[in-house]
Amino acid sequence: MSNMISRRDFLKVGGAAVGVLVLGEFIPPRVAEAAHLSGTLDATNSGYIPSMCEMCVWRCGLLAKVENGRVVKLEGNPEHPHSNGNLCPRGQSGLMNTYDPDRVLTPLIRVGKRGSGFFRKASWEEALDLVAKKMLDIKQKYGPEAMIFSTTHCLSQVQFESLLNAFGSPNYGTQRSLCFNAMIVANLVTYGMQEPDRKYDDLKYIILTGRNLMEAISTSETSALSKAIDRGAKVVTLDPRFTKTAAKSSEWLPIRPGTDLAFHLAMLNVIVGEGLYNRQFISNNTSGFEKLPAAVAQYTPAWAAEITGIPAETIQRIAREFAAAAPYAMAHNGWRTSNFVNSFQTERAITILNALAGNWGTAMFPSAGEESGVLGVVPQPPYPRVTAQRLDGVPWKYPFVPLDIGVFQELREAALSGDPYQAHGWFISRQNPAMSLPDRGRTLQVFGKMDFIATIDILMNDTAWFSDVVLPEASYLERYDPLNIVGNKAFLRQPVIEPQGEGRSTLWIYKQLGQRLGLGDYFQYTDEEDYIKQQLAPLGVSLDQVRQKGYVQLPGEAAEFPELKWDTPSGKIELFSTTLDKGGFAALPQWEEPPAPKPGQYYLLTGKVAQYTQMGTQNNLLLHKYADEPRLWMNAQTAKSQGLATNDEVEVVSTAGKIHIKLLATQAIRPDCVYLTPGFGHLSKGLTTAYGVGASDSDLHVTYTDPISGGQALSQTFVSVSKI
Amino acid sequence: MPEINHKAFLFDATRCIDCRACMVACSVENKIAMDKTRIWVAGIGLKGEFPHLVRASMVYHCMHCNEPDCLSACPVGAYTKRPDGPVIYNATKCIGCRYCMNACPFGVPHFDWDKGLLEGAFIDKCTMCPQRIDKGLEPACVATCPTDALVFGERADLGKEAHARLQAHPGRYVDHVYGEFENGGTAYLILSHVPFAELGLPDVGTRPVKDVSEEVMGFTIPFALGWGALLTGTAVAVHLVNQRKAAVAAEKAEKVEQPEQAIK
Repeated sequence: MSNMISRRDFLKVGGAAVGVLVLGEFIPPRVAEAAHLSGTLDATNSGYIPSMCEMCVWRCGLLAKVENGRVVKLEGNPEHPHSNGNLCPRGQSGLMNTYDPDRVLTPLIRVGKRGSGFFRKASWEEALDLVAKKMLDIKQKYGPEAMIFSTTHCLSQVQFESLLNAFGSPNYGTQRSLCFNAMIVANLVTYGMQEPDRKYDDLKYIILTGRNLMEAISTSETSALSKAIDRGAKVVTLDPRFTKTAAKSSEWLPIRPGTDLAFHLAMLNVIVGEGLYNRQFISNNTSGFEKLPAAVAQYTPAWAAEITGIPAETIQRIAREFAAAAPYAMAHNGWRTSNFVNSFQTERAITILNALAGNWGTAMFPSAGEESGVLGVVPQPPYPRVTAQRLDGVPWKYPFVPLDIGVFQELREAALSGDPYQAHGWFISRQNPAMSLPDRGRTLQVFGKMDFIATIDILMNDTAWFSDVVLPEASYLERYDPLNIVGNKAFLRQPVIEPQGEGRSTLWIYKQLGQRLGLGDYFQYTDEEDYIKQQLAPLGVSLDQVRQKGYVQLPGEAAEFPELKWDTPSGKIELFSTTLDKGGFAALPQWEEPPAPKPGQYYLLTGKVAQYTQMGTQNNLLLHKYADEPRLWMNAQTAKSQGLATNDEVEVVSTAGKIHIKLLATQAIRPDCVYLTPGFGHLSKGLTTAYGVGASDSDLHVTYTDPISGGQALSQTFVSVSKI
Repeated sequence: MPEINHKAFLFDATRCIDCRACMVACSVENKIAMDKTRIWVAGIGLKGEFPHLVRASMVYHCMHCNEPDCLSACPVGAYTKRPDGPVIYNATKCIGCRYCMNACPFGVPHFDWDKGLLEGAFIDKCTMCPQRIDKGLEPACVATCPTDALVFGERADLGKEAHARLQAHPGRYVDHVYGEFENGGTAYLILSHVPFAELGLPDVGTRPVKDVSEEVMGFTIPFALGWGALLTGTAVAVHLVNQRKAAVAAEKAEKVEQPEQAIK
């Protein structure tokens, strides 16, 4: 381990390790003490401790190999269904996030101008007092709604929401509208659930609409897709890029961006027109089928061929093959599905396609979710009533968007315009809106309008860089989080080493802050262990037992085939959506022409690579070592015709901004598109590995919000490219 | 060559998604310096013209030959072939002559060019993670592979598995198990959907280079050992060669970082 980290870090951490050793003779460190009790570490403080990964949101189970108080290797936990013993490159490199030489080790208070990077060290006491004082000042002056709270999907999100709700602000930003609102809202109005579970074991036919599972790795799902391909399942991938998923597919359709909807409407046209649907499933489970034939009659394969660039006979063949393979077929509804103005309609068409084929109970299942009635609940008083409108327009402008999902980019817009009222403070936990929101210049302007910004993170992320107070979090290998239910087990994230510096868990930080805000009653746990003990109380299981295995078996058997039930107004799968109809929107999917680039412009595409998660892992030295340098992909012929070649420095311009980056001339992309790996172009000089690498997609992305799902249309940005 | 308890890898290029989890896992497990690697991505990456494209990549590391050329070329016995498969290198015996590098037909052993001969520089290569396999664990690269592109087991079983895959999926693979007989047989068996040369694998024939070289080396080894002292004296001259090789190595490192550049 020692030679993997920089010399500077080695000296520092080496010194700390010596301290622990000497001290360890008398007072074993807390983590080691707990590990001894549960039997995971031996007398030399070595062994394997089970916990959970947090390099992305998939939460694989891991086994952390610990030697003398240092984590030296991470393994996939074979007992966790999300990892099955494997970890992706990000999971493997996770210990380098913890041992990042750039870790923020103490609370920091800004002393220079915002964005100057000048901070001074502070005690937790002083930093928390300051954050609480500033938040209370804003509350007193402008009301609680003047504080924005934002965080990203994580296990302590419930406690974050406690802080938000107890404080009384309606203004909650999550990352979801920058990702999958179109998919979530389409599933909600059609099936009455946010996202179904998927099973690949028996699949014969899979249509992936931009779902790049071989690069946007969700370990168990990627593995399941790989096994299906190996078994001989047919996979059709629609993507303007020859992604690594496209490369593994039986058929790659380099569809024109923004026209997935036309393809799927034509699929519906063939399946309905030729009677290839599952009559029994439709009559038992769906409503509104009778209205469908007329609605899709005009969307013939020939019509779609014009729009998508995919030949009519190909679409017709795929529709027939898909129907023939049903119910062992799946049109994957994707994940980051907020791409164009019509993405919501695309998602609706896909949900209807799976319903017509009757793929439920074979390929797709009602989600078991992460809720359980069996875990103990930490008591809480009722939250104060919130009367202020939400700045992001939910639900008064976006009635279908769930409150805990929101429309983040519209929240930013309202904070900038001051309409319907001005926000004055922003409390951010483990999130980086300076990189994630489109049109970065506008986000930075909002920072400028804030009286106060506080950020919790393990690193000096780009938002922390512009904050007044930075609170250092303990990394996922250094802290507890509330239990996480997968299937009929509750899994534990537990510390495998002591925190670096003064990093603390968010459970602790939120409670400390809550107490200072006079909201201590909302955090009725003495510490992290007490929180989990309260969750475990009804099960009669000790925390030591859970620590040893990393999970606790919940009573009752997980149903192998969950009952098909639909939480919609009609109690059926709503092919004709009564919800949309009432809201004044098209109740059946219909074609919407998306905007297209002008001559001389290109579609700007983004999408994951296997080594990075959004904008949070670029500073990881191990990932940096093995990932490709981010460059702007351009079709090789196009590049040639423009007089551009690989490694030419180019200027990329959109209406939102411009970047400079190296070019990669490649055959793997349509001639009318360029592609940029997202999450680079960091502003924080506190990220010494990532700073200066690549350029930011956020600098180019134009803000556009889908009126139904609230999703940010991330591919609806057009750019020109020229040599510098 | 004992076929019982002889461990091997089986790599299936049709399953590899080039995610590089194996590379990170190896780096951490074996405490590899940040500027070094024991596994690298080989192969053409992408071939064809839009939209008729194929991707092919391979995780390239030591083949753990049944009859290792590195071992037979090493004048000081720094290499051993364990009966259960791994070809192990012992840095304490190494004199830095780099014969192994020239001998290996797969170009696997790497030299610490940063240090040079007189500064305690050593060869580095994949070891098959003996520290793990002795405990019944798979090598780090295999254990983490999310798509089972790399699997580990008894060489005899993996050979059967490889042939079973070829039979079960006619047309999916090039009809050959690379490493079964190449260079006298290796403990890294490879299946591919593109010609093996496009994965970066050399055509080495089935006769181990060792057999050829030992005919010649029969008298050169005693000769070389006799002149060992003189050879050490020539280290300064070697240093000049090192500089040139360092440039080559840097170029190779560039390729590791940016496989997309291999696109033609």
